[in-house]
Amino acid sequence: MRLALALTLLATPALAGVEEAVNAWILPGVAAFAESAGTLARSAAGDCTADALRPAYLAAWEAWAPLADIRLGPSEAGALSIAYWPDERGAGARTLRGLIAAEDPAGLDPVAYAEVSAAARGFPALDLLLGDPDLSGYSGGSYACRLVQTVAADLAVQAEALAEGWQAEAQALTTAGAEGNAEYLSPDEAFRAIYTQALSGLEFSADTRLGRPLGEPGTPRPTRAEAWRSGRSLPNVAASVESAVGLARELADGPIPATEAALDQVHHAEAAIDDPSFQDLADPTARLKLEILQQRIRALIDAMEAEVGNPRGLQPGFNSRDGD
Amino acid sequence: MATRRGFLASLLAAASLPSLGWAEAGSPSHLACAGDPDGTFSLHGLRSDGTEAFRLPLPARGHAGCGHPTEALAVVFARRPGTFALVLDCARGTVRRRLSPPEGRAFNGHGTFLAGGAVLATSEQATGTSEGVLGLWDVEGGFRRMGEVPTGGVGPHDLKRLESGQVLVANGGIATDPTDRTKLNIATMRPNLSLLDPLGDGVAEVTELSPDLHQASIRHLALRADGTVGFAMQWEGDPDVLVPLLGLRASDGTITLAQPPEAEARLMQGYAGSVAWSGDGIEVAITSPKGGRIQRFDAQGRFLGHASRPEVCGIAPLGTGFLLSDGLGGLLALQGDEVRPLARAEVAWDNHVVTL
Repeated sequence: MRLALALTLLATPALAGVEEAVNAWILPGVAAFAESAGTLARSAAGDCTADALRPAYLAAWEAWAPLADIRLGPSEAGALSIAYWPDERGAGARTLRGLIAAEDPAGLDPVAYAEVSAAARGFPALDLLLGDPDLSGYSGGSYACRLVQTVAADLAVQAEALAEGWQAEAQALTTAGAEGNAEYLSPDEAFRAIYTQALSGLEFSADTRLGRPLGEPGTPRPTRAEAWRSGRSLPNVAASVESAVGLARELADGPIPATEAALDQVHHAEAAIDDPSFQDLADPTARLKLEILQQRIRALIDAMEAEVGNPRGLQPGFNSRDGD
Repeated sequence: MATRRGFLASLLAAASLPSLGWAEAGSPSHLACAGDPDGTFSLHGLRSDGTEAFRLPLPARGHAGCGHPTEALAVVFARRPGTFALVLDCARGTVRRRLSPPEGRAFNGHGTFLAGGAVLATSEQATGTSEGVLGLWDVEGGFRRMGEVPTGGVGPHDLKRLESGQVLVANGGIATDPTDRTKLNIATMRPNLSLLDPLGDGVAEVTELSPDLHQASIRHLALRADGTVGFAMQWEGDPDVLVPLLGLRASDGTITLAQPPEAEARLMQGYAGSVAWSGDGIEVAITSPKGGRIQRFDAQGRFLGHASRPEVCGIAPLGTGFLLSDGLGGLLALQGDEVRPLARAEVAWDNHVVTL
């Protein structure tokens, strides 16, 4: 469950932190992602085979991972079809196998592909097509090869649209409270919006990116880790954490020493993990190391709340947390 | 004892005052409950431009309310489990009555006036079983309890008076612990829409959705002039399964379910908190405070578009479009795809905006 926060009182104009977060972090991030997604699509058009494409695919993940948990403006719906995860019901694999078995024409047309189930688009689709032993052995010119080209082209189109959409969202965030800005009625609302992304990203990493493969004690679920076929499970957690703290540094008025110290502890815990895909969780030591990382991320959340959120009077949501 | 006598005396004095209309209360078009920054709660009368017609303190967090059709009287219901409702004289700024449910009943947050304002009907449940009843109160007799009729389901929530005088009730289907709202029957819940004639024979005519939707709790209702009712649902089943959160019940009882595109459906997080028709009756919209999202549909249930707003929940007709309220204090006008801010108050608007 993503965190939701409501702002009470306190009307200090804080657009400075918001402008920095948008201009120093988010906008360069979406531009870099659009560029690497474009490179991936061009690489796929050149040589679609799994081994040839893997470096460009991993570079695109590297560019996406810091943005993955920012769910504002165009990223709200956009992130769902770029990196749909977790896919509890295995809809992505089912759809992809169905497309390949039927040689469905939708798999050859990037425009038509935009209507395919979100679970079969973007990174999770490439994770399967390039990483699953049953699927990744395709040859150049096969249907699967052309499907990979389609998925990569569709991802590049999505990345372009995201970068374009963020121009308007950046404008809305950095003019919060101005006459006619219907998205952010005050600077506080823009601050709150970005801060919420940082916190909920950390929460998602602890609860889902780590919690899902950990499973219940005694029954680890390593194949429930995010992008485990690509070795991106730990790097995605690390990128999410760096992004959250990066945003927090921009938002905060001054230094945030407790947050920095908590981040150091997260780094130590990350460095101790042997398999970045979390496939060794049956080993009690490996499991313990992942649990320690989970705890350190939760401690980082506490530090950020104390140093960044609480001074601005942020508290849990009035309606989103209540329900009726 | 002196205090109690004093309280009764003031009640009598209030009851003997001549009734005042809504013009004397500043001509509000809507009512909304709110949380104030100091931790207290209040009821607000709002005009159509977002300005405040009146503001009255509440003793605890409110949920929804209903306005008397002619007199400047508002009934505000406590958040569940509801142990009180207040009848407020919005022109004089006084509490006219404090209503307590009879022994073994709890208010469920919503109510409506019947018979031209002569009777108040309140959504209630039996505290032990969560079986629903409609409580009936004699308005002119000083809000005396007249009786009750079964709603034909468990955990009733919103209710609407139809032109025929019948009442449509959303029986949410969820049995709750009488003290803390813990949900007790999620695996076996069976929500329904029930049509009853509380001042006549009182027998409920019940409609259930298909069995695969038995965990979609039907909770809130919006009535269009022609009798079409939009109903908003909250999904208690597997969060990965996407189900419709809006249904439409035509006046002949036909049900249509509204299904948005996949990404849209997911962003609502299985939760519709309020529902309203646009002022011109052409569109119907649901809100999700969990997803910070508003979705618009046409009267056939076809998806039209969305708007985003954190903590949004309250929605009501305004002009030809909609009024939105949110937990950040924002009041916004929604017209087609366009959102326009009206006002921002230092309060957290509660789940619902009630149209007068």
